[in-house]
This record gives sequence, C-alpha cells and structure tokens, in this order.
Amino acid sequence: MTTLYQKIGEEFLTRLAQSKEIEPKKVERLRVLITSGKKLKVQELVTAFTGGDENEVK
Amino acid sequence: MIKLESIHIEEVRGIRKLDLDFGKKTLAIHGPNGSGKSGIIDAIEFGLTGQMGRLMGRGTKGLSVALHGPHVDKVKFPDAAFVELKVFLTDLNKSATITRMVSSPKKYKVNPDDPDIRAALDEVGEHPEITLSRREILRFILVEPAKRSDEIQALLKLERIGETRRVLQAAENQLIRQHNVAANQVKSARSALQLHLQIPAVKTDAILEVANKQRKILGLTLITDFVKDTNLAEGLSAGAGSTEFNKESGLRDVKALSEAINIAASLGKTHVDAILQDLARLENEPELLGAFRQRSFIEQGLSFVEKAECPLCDAPWPDVEHLRTHIKAKLAKSEQAKQIQDALLKNGALLAGKLVQFSALIQPVAKLAETVGEKELSGTLTTWKGALDLLNIDLGNAEKVRKLKSRLRDGWLQVPDTVAASVTALDEKIKAGPDQTATLAAQTFLTTAQLRLGDFQKALRHNDTVAKGKATARAAHAIYVAVLEEELNALYDVVQKDFSTFYRELNGSDESGFTAKLTPSAASVTLDVNFYDRGLFPPAAYHSEGHQDGMGVCLYLALMRRLFDKRFTLSLLDDVVMSVDTGHRYEFCKLLKSEFADTQFIVTTHDRMWAEQMKSAGLVTGKTSVIFFSWTIDTGPLVQSNDGIWKDIDAALAKGNVDSAAAALRRHLEFVMRVLADQLGARPQFRSDGSYELDDMLSSVLKRMKALWGDAAKSAESWGKTEAQKIANEKKQFLSTCDAAMRAEQWAVNKALHYNAWADFGKNDFVPVVAAFKELLECFRCPICDSWLSVLPKQSPKMLLCTCSDISFNLIAKPKD
Repeated sequence: MTTLYQKIGEEFLTRLAQSKEIEPKKVERLRVLITSGKKLKVQELVTAFTGGDENEVK
Repeated sequence: MIKLESIHIEEVRGIRKLDLDFGKKTLAIHGPNGSGKSGIIDAIEFGLTGQMGRLMGRGTKGLSVALHGPHVDKVKFPDAAFVELKVFLTDLNKSATITRMVSSPKKYKVNPDDPDIRAALDEVGEHPEITLSRREILRFILVEPAKRSDEIQALLKLERIGETRRVLQAAENQLIRQHNVAANQVKSARSALQLHLQIPAVKTDAILEVANKQRKILGLTLITDFVKDTNLAEGLSAGAGSTEFNKESGLRDVKALSEAINIAASLGKTHVDAILQDLARLENEPELLGAFRQRSFIEQGLSFVEKAECPLCDAPWPDVEHLRTHIKAKLAKSEQAKQIQDALLKNGALLAGKLVQFSALIQPVAKLAETVGEKELSGTLTTWKGALDLLNIDLGNAEKVRKLKSRLRDGWLQVPDTVAASVTALDEKIKAGPDQTATLAAQTFLTTAQLRLGDFQKALRHNDTVAKGKATARAAHAIYVAVLEEELNALYDVVQKDFSTFYRELNGSDESGFTAKLTPSAASVTLDVNFYDRGLFPPAAYHSEGHQDGMGVCLYLALMRRLFDKRFTLSLLDDVVMSVDTGHRYEFCKLLKSEFADTQFIVTTHDRMWAEQMKSAGLVTGKTSVIFFSWTIDTGPLVQSNDGIWKDIDAALAKGNVDSAAAALRRHLEFVMRVLADQLGARPQFRSDGSYELDDMLSSVLKRMKALWGDAAKSAESWGKTEAQKIANEKKQFLSTCDAAMRAEQWAVNKALHYNAWADFGKNDFVPVVAAFKELLECFRCPICDSWLSVLPKQSPKMLLCTCSDISFNLIAKPKD
C-alpha cells in the first residue's frame, strides 16, 4: 500500500525534476535520500543542495 | 487487511478464561458497567498490536501492559496472561493463529509461521488506531485546532511527512546562514582587494589599469583582457616579491586595522544592546530561562527520537509516537522562549557579519608584522584572529550567545591590551624603513594584488555555490510544502465530505443539511460544522454532547476510510455512542451496514436498548451478540448464552465434542439461574464474594419456583379459578419429579466440566442430560414472548408473570370472611 508519505515523496521528486531552478544532478541526489527509507539528516540535504557544483561547502 | 475468527483469553485484565467466536462477523458485546466488556477490546488490541490503548495516553502515567495487563491476581505471574487470536488475513486469503503473552508483548507466535503472514501481522501491529474508545473520540472534536491536527496527523501517520518538512526547512535555514557568512567573506575580500588596489569598485578595467601600471614598471606584457584565469603577477620570476611586502599597501592595511581597533568598542552596539536586553529578561524570569535552556536540548532530543526509548536515559516508552508527543508538548510550552531564541540568533547573525569584516583586517597585518620581524605582534594577532573565528561560530548558537553575556557587556571583540600600541609601533617602523625600489614596489604590489584577487574570486565562487544551494533548498522546501498542502487539502476534502455524509446519514431526520469544513494550516486543523443553516461553528458551540459523540465517530470513520480504503476490515468500537439517542443509534447501525459492509466491527455497549437495536437493525444476530450479565474478580465476565444455545450444543454433540457441549450447557445454566434467582426472588446461600455455584443457584431456584406455583394454586383455588389452579399444580408436580433427576444429571454436567472423566462420557450419555435441562428450563419461561418468569413485587410477591402477561398468576389468596 502506498502511504501518504510515499505519495507526497514521489510527487515532490517529479516536480523537482520539472523545475528549471534545480539541476538534475541535485534532483538525483535528493531522490536517493528521499527513497532510501532512512531518516533524512539536515547535513545530507545541505550537501545535496550545494553538491551539484564543483566546490563543496566546507 | 484482517478479520477476527475467534479469541481465547486467559488472565488478561478482568478476564480469567474466555472464548469468543467472531466468525469474521460484526459482534456486539453488551453488559453493565464493570462487566468486562472493555477487557475484550483490550485483549483483541493486545493480541493484534501488543498494546492496550487504555493503558496509554493522558491520565495513564505509571500504567503499563507489563504491570497492569495481567489479571490482578496474576500480576506476579505475567506468563499466565495471554491471548490467542485466530485471524483471517484478507490480502492473503489465509487464516492464522497469533499467540501473544503479556510478559513479552512485542513478540508473538504465529501458526503457520510464514513470512507473508508475519509481514501482514506486523503491518496490522502498526495500526492501533483500529480501536476507538469513547475517551478517544472526543479528541477529534473537543480539542483546540493544533491538538486536533496532532491527533489527525498521528492517526494518518503524517509524522514522517512533518519530519521531512522540518528537515528541509532546517537545511534551508542552514544554507541561509552559510550564505550570510559567505556574503560577508566576499565583502571582506573585496574590501581587502580595493584597499590594496585603491580602486572605488572592483571592475575589471580598473583592476587591469592599476596592475598594468605596475607591470609597465617591470617591463612585463600588459594584460588586455580580464578572463577567469587572469594572473596579475604573470611573468614575474618565481618568488619575486613574495618574501617582501608592498610598503604603501602594507601601511594602508595597518591604518585600516588601527582605525577599526579605535572604533571596536562601538562596533555592532545596537545588536549587542539588543542581545543584552534579551539576556537580562531571561535572568529576571527564571521560568523563561528554564524553558529557554531546555528548548534547544528538547529540539535536539526530538530529532534523536527513532524508537520507543528516551534518547537521553534509555527509559522505555509505550511507543515512539507517545514519546514524540510528550516532547512536542514540552516544546509548545516554551513559545516565549522561542521568540527570544529567534531574536538572539538574528542579532547574533548581524554581529557575526560585522565580525567577519573586522577580523579580515587582522590577517594581512599579522603577515606584515612577521615579515618585518615583529613576531610577538604577529603571534598576538594570529591568536586573536583565531579567537574571533570561534566567536563567530558561537554567535550562530542561541545557548552559546547566552553564555557570552559578560563578553558582550565588556567589549565583545576583546582587543588585546597591547595591540593598539603595537600596531601603531608597526606603522611607525614601516614608515621609518627605507623606501622600496620601484621594481620591488611593483613586484610586491602585483603579488599582493594577485593574492587578494584570488581570495576574492574564491570567496565569490563559494558564495555562488552557497547561494545556488540556498535557492535550491528554498525551491525544494517550497515544492514540498506545496505538494504536502495539496495532498493534505485533497485528503481533508475527501475526509470532510465523507464526514458530512456519514453525519447526515446518522442525523438525517434533524440535520439533513449538515456540512462540515476542515481547514488545515501550517500547524493546525480547524473543524467547523453547520448548525441548522445558521453558519459554521466549532462543534462544541451549539451541538449537544450526543451529537458531538456522533461527530467523533463519523470523523474517525472518515479518516479510517481514507487511511485504509478497502482494507478497513476491522474496527473495535468500545462504548463510543453512549450519548447518541436511540433514534440516531438505529441510523448508526444502518450507516455501518451500508457504508462499511466489508468491515467487521466489535462493538461494546452497556446499554441494553442499543444492543437490541443492533440486532433489529441487522448489524448483528442473536448468534453474534454476547451478553455479560455480571462480573466477579474470581470468575471474570459471566456470559449469557445466545438464543441459539441448543443448536450450538446439538452441533457440538453431533461432532462428538461432549466437552464443549457440556461447557456451553453449564454457562447457559449459570446465566439462566442467575436471572431466575433475581427475578423470582430465590434465596441461595449467601456468598459475600457473589460467586454462586450452579448447584446453589439451581436448588434454590427450583425450590422457589415450586413454592410460587404452590402459592399460585392456593390463590386460584381461593378465588375459584379452577383452570389456573390445575395449571399451577401441574407445574409444581413437574418440578418435583424433575428435582431428583436433576441432581443426577447436574452431577453429569459437573463431572463433564470439572473432572477428568471425558473418556466416560460419550455422546449418548450426554444427550439425555441436555434434553432434561432443556425441558426443565421451559418451565421457567413464556412460550409466547420467550421471557423468563418473574414476580412482582420482588420483596413480597403478589403476581407471577411473564413480559407479555400471557402467563399471569395471582399469588395472594382471597381473604377469608
């Protein structure tokens, strides 16, 4: 049974992929995090949001 | 998902030993208060989930399944308390038997122990919301919007969605802070570059003009195009100018730091004052300070909650939601503390911005001091810069800002005592030094320019990365919130529609135009209901308690339908409609039948009328109704057999199950004899614990009935009613002949039940016993209305009669003249 959480997650990733503001590489990183089933961590998201560029935030 | 076939309960809550057959059908359990009905709900819930809702939640502190799940006489022997449930898993089309001991509620045995069955049972175990008690229904109705939101979110398992939203928000906030820092670093790097190049703005043509002037002195090729990799010092031999400094530029750096130190005391004064004001408030209000100090701790604690154990002390909790709710309640209490926390963080961030720009002035001078041999000053400046970098980190943490009070009050930059004088001395030393040759000046100028240009470009790139990250985080958070709100709005739309429909079905006679509105916002769900077309109001504004009860059940059913859809196959309704009047209860039965035809409900009620209505509405049958007529601590619930008892006994005997036939007969006799003893005013030997044996009851009831028929015969004779006299005498005579036979047959019943004599009893031995008791009991009931005979008034009987009055005998003889 698809839970509401999964349904929202899938729609969220679909819209992220459609957004011109967000690089595809970042969307894929988010997809991995969201669908992993693990609890999301703030630092993982920060890295995913900034990690599409060559320079990492340190 | 699941339906119940049967249950066997031993030593759980108020139940000693009990078997019930559900047959995958809706079952009604009726009995007076304290007769053990809710114990059945507890046992079913425990069997399926390992939890007992009544031992959890508000007002249950100190209660637990382990300590209070067993029967009170078995508290020290929790292994004796267990539930065995035979269930049907609708998705798998399979039956299975679950056995769960109170001593280890999280584990269960299952037969057959197949992985798919375990997976299905584990899923059921995660849904304690299948149980709804009266205590719980009002939480959907009579609570403030924020609390209702929590209740609905908990029911729909929205916790994880909320958690994702919070983490996205936190990531965005962190990137906003990082971007502020990066922007300040850009400003600092830009200032340092401008200071060195002496240009009003960082423009490529201005940079090239200044750099080319120096390159011309050195005879280097002029740079015509400024590109990404442009090196202003390109062409200088390796090391040229790198060990020296540019005198003019150095003096400007020293001057800039010196001026900054002179105004250090007033730097960021507005923000410092604001922080000190908030800190003073915290000191003056100890409760607020307590809430503030706990806040960040509790916020962190909440993020660590992953299982039903306190992340700090490992104390066990009934479940993870329970713990989260507790922590959230603590957080909600510290709203004022949150406002102060936000203000401290805001002013801390503004102060940090000024700090970054200030400390950026220190590093070039430290390097300069080292170059000219002022190692002590260089060391002091480097140490100071390090301390300011740490301060910068502390300014991003509210709790650490609180500890900076004395520093903020006494000069937050903590300019080392000797630094001002030493920097002045450095200035003088550099000025006093020999002028640099034009060549050296040009070389050092270009190497410093390139160094600062590189720092500026690096700061720009970093700022750009963080800015993009921030934009992505902002967009992602906004998209998630938008999707979440759309889905929740759609969900609430469906729920409010179903809720209104169900409620109209329940109250169609007086509220056919009923509508409801669920309005979700960021942290709450407001419920308003229509009151006779006069507008939308909170449920408690005008509706009666009975109507509010009805709303609670309807909202619960609407949410469950949304949550499970067609898999909503089982629901335990524990006395949930006690305040709904009789007319509406009949409609409620129809609602359950029509809207939830595939759902098995286990409904308990203490209201006899309601139990009868469930039957007449066709929600249950006589066979799927159980009546608890009493309860004692020693016996547990005393169960009335259903009307089909003789068919059940015959069926058991047909299969050769003498033991179950005997048990059913004995239970039925116990029930009937209690009813008759009460209604006829029989006097069994008094027992202080109320635990009367069948033998006591049967003897006293027979004796009483014979006496009553005797009185009826005498009375009829005195009034000259010959026919009545004849009937009464026949009844009395029949009971007398029964008496002796009963004693022998009763022995048979007892033996079949209580002694290891199964082998001695065949079907043929027990059939006559059953027939004799059946015939005997018919002497006590009306063949027209099926009611058991009673006397009126009980204390000094004047009439022996049945409910329909087809049987009606005067017990008082005609007074003699």
